[in-house]
Amino acid sequence: METFQHSFPSRPLAWPADRSWALAGVVGSGNLEVLIEPNPAAPDAVAYDLQTSIPGYADSWKAALADFAAHYAVGGTRITLHDQGAAPVVITMRLRQALDLLTPAQP
Amino acid sequence: MSRVPYHELKARERLAAIVDPGSFAEILPPPARVMSPYLPKLGIPVAFDDGLAIGRATIDGKPIYLAAQTGQFVGGSVGEVHSAKLVGLLKAAARDRLPCVLLIESGGVRLHEGSSGEIGIAEAIRAVFACRAAGAPVIAVIGSDIGAYGGMGILSACCDFRVMTEHGRLGISGPIVIEKWMGKAAYDSADRALVWKTSGGKTRYLLGDANALVNDDTAAVRAGIARLLGPASPVTLAAIEARQAELAARLEQFAAVTSPEAIWQARGVTDPAAATLDDAETFVASLAPAAP
Amino acid sequence: MTSSPRDTRRRNKAARLSRAAALVAGKLVPHEKTADLLRAVIEPGDILCLEGDNQKQADFLAEQLASLDSLRDLHLVMSCITLPSHLELFKKGVVRQVDFCYAGPQGNAVADLLAAGQFPIGAIHTYNELYARYYIDLTPRVALIAAAKADRAGNLFLAANTEETPAIVEPTAFYDGVVIAQVNEIVDELPRIDIPTDQVDFVIEAPYPMHLTALFTRDPAAITDVQILMAMMAIRGIYEEYEVESLNHGVGFNTSAIELLLPTYGEELGLKGKICKYWMVNPLPTMIPAIEAGWVETVFSVGGEVGMERYTAARPDIYFTGRDGSFHSNRPMGQLAGHYAIDMFIGASLQVDIHGNSSTVSKGRITGFGGAPNMGCQPTGRRHPSKAWLKAGREANPGPGSLPGRKLVVQMVETFQSGRVPTFVESLDAQDPAIKAAMQGVAPVMIYGDDVTHLVTEEGIANLGACRSPEERTAAIRAVAGYTPVGLKRSLADTAALRARGIVRLPEDLGVSPARANRSLLAAQEIKDLVRISGGLYDPPAKFVDW
Repeated sequence: METFQHSFPSRPLAWPADRSWALAGVVGSGNLEVLIEPNPAAPDAVAYDLQTSIPGYADSWKAALADFAAHYAVGGTRITLHDQGAAPVVITMRLRQALDLLTPAQP
Repeated sequence: MSRVPYHELKARERLAAIVDPGSFAEILPPPARVMSPYLPKLGIPVAFDDGLAIGRATIDGKPIYLAAQTGQFVGGSVGEVHSAKLVGLLKAAARDRLPCVLLIESGGVRLHEGSSGEIGIAEAIRAVFACRAAGAPVIAVIGSDIGAYGGMGILSACCDFRVMTEHGRLGISGPIVIEKWMGKAAYDSADRALVWKTSGGKTRYLLGDANALVNDDTAAVRAGIARLLGPASPVTLAAIEARQAELAARLEQFAAVTSPEAIWQARGVTDPAAATLDDAETFVASLAPAAP
Repeated sequence: MTSSPRDTRRRNKAARLSRAAALVAGKLVPHEKTADLLRAVIEPGDILCLEGDNQKQADFLAEQLASLDSLRDLHLVMSCITLPSHLELFKKGVVRQVDFCYAGPQGNAVADLLAAGQFPIGAIHTYNELYARYYIDLTPRVALIAAAKADRAGNLFLAANTEETPAIVEPTAFYDGVVIAQVNEIVDELPRIDIPTDQVDFVIEAPYPMHLTALFTRDPAAITDVQILMAMMAIRGIYEEYEVESLNHGVGFNTSAIELLLPTYGEELGLKGKICKYWMVNPLPTMIPAIEAGWVETVFSVGGEVGMERYTAARPDIYFTGRDGSFHSNRPMGQLAGHYAIDMFIGASLQVDIHGNSSTVSKGRITGFGGAPNMGCQPTGRRHPSKAWLKAGREANPGPGSLPGRKLVVQMVETFQSGRVPTFVESLDAQDPAIKAAMQGVAPVMIYGDDVTHLVTEEGIANLGACRSPEERTAAIRAVAGYTPVGLKRSLADTAALRARGIVRLPEDLGVSPARANRSLLAAQEIKDLVRISGGLYDPPAKFVDW
């Protein structure tokens, strides 16, 4: 088991009034769950908190998480990930799915 | 093409799909982080909900309590936190005398957590009977490939009613365990057709173990539940004796039978080969009137 | 030259036939006499063709051949090296040279034999390239083939899996070679005659039916959300964008996902009747929902698929069928159709390099090519226009000396294979010096980057056909290579510039919502759904049945 916390700069997310969280994915082999919650203390950054069963891929994780922060406006959020060996593609997809569930209008 | 297959959905999607739109209010949702204290020590990642989503909702305006398991998370297994949520939900249902619907997808006790899972299942079964004693019906819905096995198979059998789809399987020991003890000649767990013909929804319905067999889509599952939301089935001595007699007769009738097809025929299926492909609705409608 | 060119081969064939005369009644040879027959007709130095492709195998004849101790100095020509008996010939050291196309299932063993100096490769060919050479410089002296049935006169019925049988028999028979057929059964009357007895010398009823693999059956239950996301992007960014009417699909789960999205997602986009009408593809079970929903006009195939016999026979509006009513296929003609007559080829690969070259060769595993290269290439002999061909041609910015159109050649890959092995690499394993040395310097590249117009990954679509330089193409590949080492070397500025020009398109640029990439979008979630949608006409093999 490996854990790390890391923040990346990101444009502020317009948090929807009717939701307080969004969850995508499940913890299972080759899969992960992603929870997005508001973090008003840091509106220009996204704070990641990751737990993964497969150690040794921190660089690839950080690249994927940094890209997501750069590409989407997710500032002012805390994103917690519970991973059981998901490929990077699944990670990115779950992040996008969680964001889509939170703000369906976002392009 | 518009049907939403129940067995493809995840726990919260199932809950949302079978209740009145927008009516599901989750108790201890993911941000509450009520999680297993044991799994991280074993190198297994935790889930925010420990594999069980619980809450309140309405079906056709009637308030109910309900829960849904996530089969992908440690096999839908029942650990300490998971069982505590389940027990609490059932106790609330008994207290409020409201129906409780359990969307089951579990291999049973979470062995990683030792006896706490075993105790948890036992407490949950006791809570099921508390509901029944209070007149609050408990309905198990079994419609996923993982099915209901082990302790959750037992718990399902203790509920007032069972709604199954043809994807659902209900049993105590899983196919691999049966093969291990009885031998491959007696039960080949790799023969998926045999596994479903012995423990799948259609067979369970023919044997009277499932009260409803519905199509694998959320609207049909919802309708199946709605029909059973009336009075509970009380646990009385007479009812238990009647069930015992029924099981004894079944054992006698099928003691010498070695093929599931023969059981199907004895229970009113005229053409088992064709009926395997029928959807649940067609299957139920085509049964000879003598069936259960 | 030892004799004047008159009829040397013909007289030599007559001598071979006379050596076998005692074994044969008419053209029929009892299977117990097979080894004697092969000893009688095969001579040292022969070019010997052994039929076998990835589905259908002359397996009884191959085993009998491998059991002989009289063979030497053979030049084997065969499209696929797939059976242990094939390898036996190399282990015995009786093969002087081998010219082939594909060795998928035996890829590791072939690499081992090559390393041991026991695998003398002439060349690894594409299918039609090898069949073409059967008419030029690799005409077989003896061909060992497989058919479903024969009549007592020696006419052959090939059933659904015609495959490459005619492509072997015709050049062999018309250039005085010997054709020996194994059949599953000998009957009084054939349903139809696919190979006339004039082109057949010996027929053997094999003691067991030929091996057939359900190679193209993909269980919808195994399709992942990621594959569905990629399929959605491909439909929007390529099928819809270019109005692809005629096409070939590879055999992977990616393209199965596309087939199963047509009646749902494709319908929702209003694409029915506009795209995916004419197909060159085997009778894939996952196409049943699209066919039943009225999407498909015709399907022509290089081979059959186990379990699809009744369904194809009941849909002669869609499939090519014989007068007996049953399915017909033809590998070389199908490959030719896939080369010249389709708007798009879309398939997958195990490795893609920074130039867009792809290969299924990996270290220690030599697989050769399947049906991809003859279709996944630009047909410079094409002259007929279509919307898709012209649009792709315009994007390629043709000069005064180039074709106005281009075929869409699409590679659809996830950035990682199973076990976190990256698909994208700086250099292909196929460029391994030892492999190249064994092939006289030619690396076994399956599809060349110059031929590829689009690359689809879970990250997005790169339009390689619209790139203006090799450097730009590499940047576009890196932009969709995800978190592989190749992808991590991308520059954000390059990616942004390519995206602004539409050369790189991400899901949101295509109007695709990843949140919808969900198995519920499939028209069938499992094999049982396919059976139901077929009206009970599809008979899946037992390993796919769980009801």
